[in-house]
Amino acid sequence: MKGPARLAILGCGAITRSEHIPSVIAHPGTQLVALVDVDLSRANGLIQKRALTCKAIADYHELLGRVDAVINALPNHLHAVINQDFLLAGVHVLCEKPLAITAADALASTELAEKKGLVLAVGMNRRFAASHPLLKLVMQEGLLGTVRDYDFQYGGAFDWRSASGFYFDRAKAGGGALVDFGVHMLDSVFDWFGPVSAFDYQDDDWGSGIEANAILDVKHDGHFGEVKGRLQLSRTFTLKNRLFIRGTQANAEISVQDPEVVVLHRTIAGKSVSETLRLEDYPPGNSYLRQLDNFVQSVVNRSKPEVDGWQAVRVMELIESCYAQRKRIPEPWAESKVARNEARA
Amino acid sequence: MNWRNETVLVTGATGFIGGRVCERLMQAGVPKVRALVHSMHKASRIARVPVELCPGNLMEPETLQQAIGNAKIVIHCGLGDAGSIVRGTRNMLAVALAAGVKRFVHVSTAAVYGITPPPGSENETAVIRATGDPYCDNKAAAERVVLGYGKRGLPVTILRPSIVWGPYSAWSTRLVDDLRGGRVSFVDGGRGACNTTYVDNLIDAMFLSLENDRALNETFFITDGERITWGDFIRAHTAMMNPEPQVSNVSHEEIQATQEKTSGMLLSSVKATARVARSKEFRQILMKIPATEAMLTGAWNRINSLSPENRERLRARFGVQRVAVAAAPGRNGKHIPDPVTVATQSTTVFFSIEKARRVLGYEPRIKFGEGIVLVEQWLRYAAYLD
Repeated sequence: MKGPARLAILGCGAITRSEHIPSVIAHPGTQLVALVDVDLSRANGLIQKRALTCKAIADYHELLGRVDAVINALPNHLHAVINQDFLLAGVHVLCEKPLAITAADALASTELAEKKGLVLAVGMNRRFAASHPLLKLVMQEGLLGTVRDYDFQYGGAFDWRSASGFYFDRAKAGGGALVDFGVHMLDSVFDWFGPVSAFDYQDDDWGSGIEANAILDVKHDGHFGEVKGRLQLSRTFTLKNRLFIRGTQANAEISVQDPEVVVLHRTIAGKSVSETLRLEDYPPGNSYLRQLDNFVQSVVNRSKPEVDGWQAVRVMELIESCYAQRKRIPEPWAESKVARNEARA
Repeated sequence: MNWRNETVLVTGATGFIGGRVCERLMQAGVPKVRALVHSMHKASRIARVPVELCPGNLMEPETLQQAIGNAKIVIHCGLGDAGSIVRGTRNMLAVALAAGVKRFVHVSTAAVYGITPPPGSENETAVIRATGDPYCDNKAAAERVVLGYGKRGLPVTILRPSIVWGPYSAWSTRLVDDLRGGRVSFVDGGRGACNTTYVDNLIDAMFLSLENDRALNETFFITDGERITWGDFIRAHTAMMNPEPQVSNVSHEEIQATQEKTSGMLLSSVKATARVARSKEFRQILMKIPATEAMLTGAWNRINSLSPENRERLRARFGVQRVAVAAAPGRNGKHIPDPVTVATQSTTVFFSIEKARRVLGYEPRIKFGEGIVLVEQWLRYAAYLD
């Protein structure tokens, strides 16, 4: 490929507006040729607002063969089928998470990319926060001693103003909190602690398939041996919003509010001490720009992206297993005697 | 009428009361619940229940026509702001009448008698007088519109709960936050009437009014029927906390003395009003209102027109000591509550539920003590308490 990669963005919703367009504008290795949205006014509005020179297109088929790469930021249920259309046409794909709403579809897309020798990268921007590789270093260097367990909480009042509102439709979203931001958390813990050998999953789905709260207990058997973890997610309540890892020598913490650093907690001469670790010489920009750069470099060099389809497949497989074996989070306040009497009436 | 076989439309479905109504309807086996949703991103709680999320706005009748579908029952918990309480209710009533709705339950408030209801307002027969508080007066006006539609043939019932509490209620979450922040006092010993209405008891009353023809065109106070004071309510929450916060007493004399001394109060109120008016959250609330009085001078009225829960939300959001009306530190470091809290906690009237008992067969099934246990369990689950 000579010159910048000709790139199109599919879907002009919230994430495209806030992250993908600024990243593409900032990246010298890309040339934005089109914004695609079934609602052309949305695409045109963005072009006007950001003074872009690209085209607005309603039907993505027009692009097949005319671009080098696409960023797929459409609603979840449109990821797999449209990714596969582009891969079949020889186009590299950076797909927003989740790669598909089923593991089978994620696998099919991944196998197709491999067969065609194309890059299929998955939008796991949190991997590109400096704390992600830094925590790996901290653990590999033994700063925590033996890694024992972790508590990973992410939750707050849901405030994602998606253009389509697909996220409360099971057929379009594939699930609730777990499939929405649980994929980020699972992708990270898989990368840090290795494969999951056992799990126990609970959520508060009352039958719609769109859980607002989820609690997932896991056991990893990876490079650090057995590590137990609890992941807690909420779309309704503010949780601690941090990862806390306990080791025999020290504990480590990554806050959602400052994902560029790792805070190390340890005891020195009986005193509790905290130190903030920061990676020097880490690429500038935010995680989305770094993610885009990794994608572009993978396309140029035909190398494996940081997060490929195979990694997304293992996350989706675990999520499917969780949904298949789910238990209800006990909510005694909702199952009070009043409601019980009603059910008998 | 067997309401359990009917499709039900719930307005205000993303709110605390409406959300629980959706859950209870599902638990009762209602075949289909349609939920009117103004702000889709706020629907996480009800989206986990198999209800149909119907995008719409009480101020846009065409969206209500879409939302009502084949519903024959409407439970109207929707509120909105000063300008929309009456108009939004009228819009919903008109659509319900045209759709041949068989029951329309209007969730009003005992605050139609004011934030501090006057003695003599214990029963539904008491005359409603203008209070000067836009929220109270608009809710009273909405009741008149509802009864007007009742005369036109729409089967309506009006329920007047008071302090609706339970899991998800800001009365508990903000109280816990305020207790933690040292921003709670017992007004005059905490003797004021709290008139708690546990959310499930209120919903019991809604369901009873759906199946009882004697409820038509009638208005009912709905409370827990216990003489719970604000002191009881606050102490029940401090007991959940560790360490247990200390709450001091402030007398009306101390409150008055502090307020008189706070000469800068007006200035700080104006500053707080301006700060709130400039904020994103307030603008979002403003967007629900016709943009007729969008100037700052209107902000005061708008804030006061919000329900007590929404006022709490704004206050907590901006860290002001009550929106637009500053509270002040008193002598000896005592927290002196703002005038709205003082007014709320100075109630002497315990509303009677005798009519609801007699006509609806209403009996509060969740006693205060049981409700507190459930609220505490929920507060722990929702990470408000450790």
